[in-house]
Amino acid sequence: MADRITSPDQLKALAAKAKADIDLREGRKETQVTVHMGTCGIAAGAREIVAAFMAELAANGVTSTSLHQSGCAGLCEEEPMATVTTADGTLYRYGLLDKDKVRTIVVNHLVGGTPVEAYLIKT
Amino acid sequence: MHDLSLYLLDILENSVRAGATVIATSIVVERADDALTITVEDDGPGLPVEPEQALDPFFTTKGHKKTGLGLSLFRQAAEAAGGGLEVGRSDELGGVRVSARMSIVNVDRPPLGDIAASLATMVVTNPAIEFRVRVCDGGDRVSLRGPDVARHLAEIVAFQDSLA
Repeated sequence: MADRITSPDQLKALAAKAKADIDLREGRKETQVTVHMGTCGIAAGAREIVAAFMAELAANGVTSTSLHQSGCAGLCEEEPMATVTTADGTLYRYGLLDKDKVRTIVVNHLVGGTPVEAYLIKT
Repeated sequence: MHDLSLYLLDILENSVRAGATVIATSIVVERADDALTITVEDDGPGLPVEPEQALDPFFTTKGHKKTGLGLSLFRQAAEAAGGGLEVGRSDELGGVRVSARMSIVNVDRPPLGDIAASLATMVVTNPAIEFRVRVCDGGDRVSLRGPDVARHLAEIVAFQDSLA
């Protein structure tokens, strides 16, 4: 049984913890996939990678992930690439993507919760 | 770049990165004048430098890079197809205006490519931005705004199939 609340400070602390727990839980719905679409990314096929993510997210019923685009990430030789940002702010940068890799990332990482180490960019 | 739709995507990305909230794309075919014109205008902050400097492949607004190839590659493609590319201020929206004009029948004109896919990519990944699209081939005209762009991509597909 939880400790009794005996002071306003305890109540505030409990409220803050509850809010943090809720934010974390809600935040899981805000996993973001960002496909990098600078000139280098576009030339390497980034548009098809966006289409592949759209198709795979829909096919796998993933509603907890939003899809975004951004400019060049400074790793042009790794294009086309995408960054997965999880609720806790962790970044996973995937490089040299193709449609098959996108499918694996959606199934294993975005659905299963396990990053695909083999496709992560080694820096 | 394989086709014009990829150049378009690149120019649209520039506008997004500049912070535009409205981005208008216009693709006009004037067969009597043998001219294809692709124009992108935005309501962003405008060019931080003179237009000629923006076309320099060694100019970029990105701090971590030394090259900015998008506009210069597009200009090169337009010039190779008997046309050219202009960069300046948008009278309509107040930000940047990029306009590339080229000969339709020139053997070096890149194919139009999948314009609908480029527009869909930007609309889906930037839900807060209002995209406007106007395509015109003689009497045929499609003019779309905001969410309509996503709903009417089939019309743009029909347009691009007519030009290829």
